[in-house]
Amino acid sequence: VARFALDAIRKKDGVTTELIDIREIPLPTDDAGEAIKHAPFADTVGRADGLLLVVPEYNHGYPGLLKHVLDTNLKEYIHKAVGICGVSAGGFGGTRVIQNLLPVLRELGLVTIFWDGNFSGAQKLFDADGVLLDQAYVRRMDQFLKELIWMATVLRYGREHVALE
Amino acid sequence: MGRMAANKMICPKCGDEMNHHADKVDYGAHLDAASVASADFGGLLQEVHTCPGCGNVEMRAASG
Repeated sequence: VARFALDAIRKKDGVTTELIDIREIPLPTDDAGEAIKHAPFADTVGRADGLLLVVPEYNHGYPGLLKHVLDTNLKEYIHKAVGICGVSAGGFGGTRVIQNLLPVLRELGLVTIFWDGNFSGAQKLFDADGVLLDQAYVRRMDQFLKELIWMATVLRYGREHVALE
Repeated sequence: MGRMAANKMICPKCGDEMNHHADKVDYGAHLDAASVASADFGGLLQEVHTCPGCGNVEMRAASG
């Protein structure tokens, strides 16, 4: 799903993006928060105007590793756009992980969009060659990305030009 | 004139005047550095500034 989203983003004019696989971020587990900030990850997020999170749902919640990684930054997130693509094996498209993740993102200072990506039956979404089997996801992802890019654009202007008071 | 207008942060990377666009309570910050302004919030109240020139983001403790 992340590769599908990445391909869709890369088709958008004027947008540059990169994939972050959080499994590749070496973080200790005996501490948390900004004390264990990983400089390359922080730099990438710091340069970004928006984030698209592709999140698998486990037992109605988000992966602990994702929370561990997100907690390592703060200033890099403030007033930046974020959208979530929930992925589940069942039929609800990760709606429960999305709902559980929203308050975390809000506390980190991110601004959530009102479109979500909902990917149900993850094991049946793609064929053996990674080809998407249901083309409806293409149009849904396009709507999701239009909103994310709009929000990212507006918030960038706001961060740079609109003072708090 | 607000307090930020009188105390603009200068970008340490490019020298441009930064824009103060948010205040955020940082619950993970070391509270021994907390200002008087933070006492009301249960954490360190941080100003968030973004540079319109290079996009750099800086935080500093709110001055109250």
